[in-house]
Amino acid sequence: MDRRRFFGLTATSALAYGVLGSSGASAQGAATQAIEAAKQYAGTTLNVLYEAGLQPLDPKNFTGPLWEELTGIKINVIESPVDQMFTKTMQAHMANSGAYDVLNVIPNQLPDLALAGALEPLDGFVEKYAYGDELDAIAPVYRDNQMKVEGTIYGLPDDGDVLIMYYRRDLFDDPENKAAFMDQHGYELAPPTTWEQFSQIGQFFTDKYAPDIYGAGMLRAPGNAQYLFQERFRVEGGKFFDDETMRATVNSQIGVDIFNAMIAENDFMPPGVEQWGFIEAFNAFLAGDIAMTISWPPVGRWAAGYGKGTEALNWIPETTVADTIGYALPPGGHPELAVGFSLAVASGSQNKEAAYLFAQWMNSEEISLQRVQLPYALRDPFRTSHFESEEYRNRWPTAGEYLDTLKAGAETGLIDLSLIQTDRYEEGIRQALSRLWGGDDPQAILDDLAAQWDELTDRIGMEKQKRVYLDWSSKPNAYPT
Amino acid sequence: MHAKSSALADNATVLRYALVAPAVFIILMIGLYPFVKLAATSVQDITMFGADRSFQGFKHYARLMEDDRLWEAIWHTTVFTAIALPIELILGYLLALLFLHPLPFRRTLIAIILLPTVISPIVAGATWRLMLDQRFGPINQMIGWIVGGEVEILWTINPTFVWPAVLAAEVWQWTPFMFLILLAALSNVDTEQLEAAEIDGAGPWTVFRKILLPAILPVVVIAVLIRGLDLVRVFDVIWTMTQGGPGTRTETISIYAYQMAFREFEVSYSSAIAFFVIVLLTVIVIAALRRVELAR
Repeated sequence: MDRRRFFGLTATSALAYGVLGSSGASAQGAATQAIEAAKQYAGTTLNVLYEAGLQPLDPKNFTGPLWEELTGIKINVIESPVDQMFTKTMQAHMANSGAYDVLNVIPNQLPDLALAGALEPLDGFVEKYAYGDELDAIAPVYRDNQMKVEGTIYGLPDDGDVLIMYYRRDLFDDPENKAAFMDQHGYELAPPTTWEQFSQIGQFFTDKYAPDIYGAGMLRAPGNAQYLFQERFRVEGGKFFDDETMRATVNSQIGVDIFNAMIAENDFMPPGVEQWGFIEAFNAFLAGDIAMTISWPPVGRWAAGYGKGTEALNWIPETTVADTIGYALPPGGHPELAVGFSLAVASGSQNKEAAYLFAQWMNSEEISLQRVQLPYALRDPFRTSHFESEEYRNRWPTAGEYLDTLKAGAETGLIDLSLIQTDRYEEGIRQALSRLWGGDDPQAILDDLAAQWDELTDRIGMEKQKRVYLDWSSKPNAYPT
Repeated sequence: MHAKSSALADNATVLRYALVAPAVFIILMIGLYPFVKLAATSVQDITMFGADRSFQGFKHYARLMEDDRLWEAIWHTTVFTAIALPIELILGYLLALLFLHPLPFRRTLIAIILLPTVISPIVAGATWRLMLDQRFGPINQMIGWIVGGEVEILWTINPTFVWPAVLAAEVWQWTPFMFLILLAALSNVDTEQLEAAEIDGAGPWTVFRKILLPAILPVVVIAVLIRGLDLVRVFDVIWTMTQGGPGTRTETISIYAYQMAFREFEVSYSSAIAFFVIVLLTVIVIAALRRVELAR
């Protein structure tokens, strides 16, 4: 064991012991209970599926070594690109390979995986290890939408993903800009609350500063942009399906208007924005090249300089906006709770109980608070206690504002569309967006998308899909209220 | 005496078959079993949510006949092959001709030319995607230097440019393969014939048509077959660069089959697609081989 690793392990162990101790080291604590129960499985190895990239640094550097030290259970992390996690999970299930024990599941794919039998129901474990109270303390939007399928617990919500707005406060607060904008548009220059304002503000900054600074740079690559479309379509009043007939209504005038607006907005964004995914938008914002962007929570932390100097984050460009970053909800005030992760147990696992205990331990109040503060990891606050943590709120000068915005997003956010074979419906949106950037007619694209969705619905079974859709749409965070 | 020699011959034949049998058996198991399994799966009904392994008739084959997206993918694959293959062949041939003669640093240059071929297609695709990127890629920048202004070409998004972009990556990677095969073939052409033709006053076209082409044709056919089959199966480069987009404009058979099998888990339907493509390719290959009388 090299010196750095030794100190790292010692530090993380001390941190966890300290936290466990501070919670009274009570035998009732979910983390402690999981540790005690898991000791009987000492010597086994759990295979844990994680999204490739920074996400696995948590089990590799923190939770994995610590769990092994505490229980004797080894953690083997298996990485997969996020868009292949569903495929790999299903492949392992269909081949009955038992390749994974603990799974990271994207919540809107939870129904598909549960109905396919790939996930182990967790109610029995939750009851056995008295985890109910701590599960209830997860922020309601995640707890109520990312945990159960048809009343059965299949996942422990573990990541508070939400797409919020980041903006350059220095540009918005500049008196000259404020006066000029007021003259031009007749209202105060401030983070936009509508998409119309977003366009006007974006154009204003581009007109004044481009090519040095553009008004905005957004997630436009179809894999990311589909979430922004899902959000905006609902914020503007769109419905994905007709409640009665279950025919797709995504090709309504609202959808067409949004597509047209997205094309028009590209004019005040940097050239080539159509290719931008998370990394491109993130880089541009940190470099100070754009005044506004909408993205996942790590952008807000790293842009503020949190984690600077961490070896795993050496690839991140030097932030130029650390002192000027502002946080806000995106236009419309209902951010997409895009992607996220729930911890689940594979039905084919040979070590289901040990797998569950590891998941419970990671997800517990005590350990999860440490995990969401790991500067290099991508887990975002998902418990009420995370948002209120004094420790977290003092991590950087605007951390409190950051956490308040995430919390507000968690209260008003919109969950991703979740149906039987959700990925096929989302694939349709991705293709539609790639056609949009390719120059096709918005109405024709959305008509094709609606036809594609209808055909899919018919193939799956209209009544069957309708039941699932109505169940999804009845949730408070499916459509803005 | 005759009976004895006949018995010996029979024994020798049996021994030959016995010696070959294990290898044949293994090859059949490796090659035939997946084929049979694929055919069987294609007439069952295995999806994400269920595995009905009873005989379902040929409904998946009927579906693929009406599947516009599949036929679009077949069309894309055909056009892609029809354009990339001749370009690779011609460029490879011209390069081989160039290197047929003594050149300074010939061996080093050949090694450099061959480099793209040893790169994984996924890496090649990712590299080209980066090179063509609007923000970070050098290609638009270089075009900008030439035309004297900023250039904004979204190579992997704009339908006008996406095929040229993908073709460029494919041709860049696999022309060296053609070059190598053709260089080897050309090196074996009888130089006396070429000298005789030259003395007789034959022009370059005549030399090519009457001497070079017949001499290298068997090798060319094999090279074209190998590359043709590779192109029909093309996946990595296109997937990395465009994922079949914009929309489904660069979706090939392999990409579509992958989507059906591993994103949508339409296992039986994707098996039908795969079986259909195998049959189609087998017919084409046999026809091609017969045409050049190599089937014997």
